[in-house]
Amino acid sequence: MQFQFDWSAFFESFPMLMRGIKFTIVITIGGLVFGFLIGAFMGLMKLARHVVPRTLAITYIEAIRGTPMLVQAMFLYYGVPMAMGLRIPPLTAGIIIIAINSGAYIAEIVRGSVQSIDPGQTEAGRSIGLTRSQTMLYIVWPQAFKRMIPPLGNQFIISLKDTSLLMVIGVGELLRTGQEIVAVSFKAFEVYLAVAVVYLVMTLTIARGLRVLENHLEMKTKR
Amino acid sequence: MESTEMIKIVNLHKNYGELEVIKGINLEIRAGEVVCIIGPSGSGKSTVLRCINRLETPTSGTIIVDGKDIMDSETDINHVRTEAGMVFQQFNLFPHMTVLDNVTIGPVKVRKISVTEAEKLGRSLLEKVGLADKAKNYPEQLSGGQKQRVAIARALSLKPKVILFDEPTSALDPELVGEVLEVMKQLASEGMTMVVVTHEMGFARDVADRVIFIDKGVIQEDNAPDAFFSNPENPRLRDFLGKVAEH
Repeated sequence: MQFQFDWSAFFESFPMLMRGIKFTIVITIGGLVFGFLIGAFMGLMKLARHVVPRTLAITYIEAIRGTPMLVQAMFLYYGVPMAMGLRIPPLTAGIIIIAINSGAYIAEIVRGSVQSIDPGQTEAGRSIGLTRSQTMLYIVWPQAFKRMIPPLGNQFIISLKDTSLLMVIGVGELLRTGQEIVAVSFKAFEVYLAVAVVYLVMTLTIARGLRVLENHLEMKTKR
Repeated sequence: MESTEMIKIVNLHKNYGELEVIKGINLEIRAGEVVCIIGPSGSGKSTVLRCINRLETPTSGTIIVDGKDIMDSETDINHVRTEAGMVFQQFNLFPHMTVLDNVTIGPVKVRKISVTEAEKLGRSLLEKVGLADKAKNYPEQLSGGQKQRVAIARALSLKPKVILFDEPTSALDPELVGEVLEVMKQLASEGMTMVVVTHEMGFARDVADRVIFIDKGVIQEDNAPDAFFSNPENPRLRDFLGKVAEH
C-alpha cells in the first residue's frame, strides 16, 4: 500500500495544536523571565569579589550545565515530591525547569557580556564618585545588556525547543498535544510535520524580532 | 600661614606582585598649582596619578587629598573622588549616553541635584569647553578632541578641587591636541589645581608651575619649568629630554 499524504489531516492539526502552542509559549516566556532573573543574579555573583558567592554561582552553573534537562525534569517532577511530599503542578514544574536550566546558561552570557565592557568605563564611573553598584546599574549594565541580546536570543530559541522535553512530565505543550492527536488519528507524518512547522515559525519569529531590536538599539547611539 | 595643601603623598609604594613600580614617592601639591609629571613609559607616572583617587590601591604610604587620608577605611572614597576629578587617556566617555547625560549623571546620581539643575550646569560646562551644540549627540559622533573636551566637562561636573589628567592628549591625532590643551590652559588660568601626566613638553613649559620627572619609580627631579628644561641637573632627565627633543 502506497503512502498518501493527507492534506486535511495536516491542516486540521493546526487548530487542534493551539492549546499546546499556548502552553509552549507560556512556559517559554515564564521560564525565560525567571531564567533571566536567576541568570543575571548568578552571573553577577560569579563576578563578585568574595569567594562564597562566586563558589555558589559556579556550583549552580556547573551542576545544571553538566546534567541533561530531561534528568532535571524527571528529578524535579517525580523525585522531589517523593522527598518533600509536595506535588508540583506540571505547568509550574515546566516553568521552574526552564528557568533553572536557562538560568545557568544565561548566567554565563551575563558574566561574559559584563566582563567584555572596557574596564575604563568602570573607572570613569568610579572617578565621578558613583558607587560600585551605581556604576554597574547606570554605566556597565546598559552597555553589557546590548551585547547580551544576540546570545540571549539564541538561548530563547534553545529553551523554546527544550520545552518539548517537558512532555515526559505530562505538560500539555506542543509536542505532547501533537502526540495526543496522533494517538487518535494515526496520522503521524502529517501531524508531526505540522508540529515541526509550528516550532519553526516560532523560532524564526524570535530570530526576526531580535534582529529588529538590535538594529533599533544600534541606531539609537548613531543617528 | 594656613596650609593650602591639596594633595600630600608620603612614601608611596606600589607593587604588582613581585614588581615594584613605585619605590617611595613624596609629593606635595598646593591649591591652585599646576604640576606636570613627565617620564618614560613604564616609569610609574600614571600609577602615581591613579593612586591619588585610589583607582589603584597603594601598597603602602599615605595619601592625603583635601585633608582626607584616602588609605583610611573611615574615609568615603566616593566623596574624595568627587573632589578629585579625572581625565583619561582613552576619554572613557559613556557611549550609551548623550554628551549632556555624560556630564549630568555625576551631579544627578552623586550630588543628588535635580535633572533640570544638572542640565543647566551641564550646558554651561559644555559651553565652557566649546561644545554647547553637541549636547544631544552621542560620543561616537564626536572627534577625539571633542570627546576629550566632553571628558573634561564631565570631570568638572562634580565641581572638584583638583583634576587629575592621565596623558589627556596621547590618544589624539596631532591636529586635535591643540583644542584640548587650550581648554586645559583656560582651566589653569582660572586657578584650578591640576596634576597632569603628559608628554606635551610645550604645555609643561608654558603652563606648569612645577614639572616633575619620574623614572624607575622615584622622583628624579622636581623643579620650576624654566630650570627644569633649560638647566636639568639630573643625568637621567638630561638623557630623557634629549631623546624627546629629537622627535
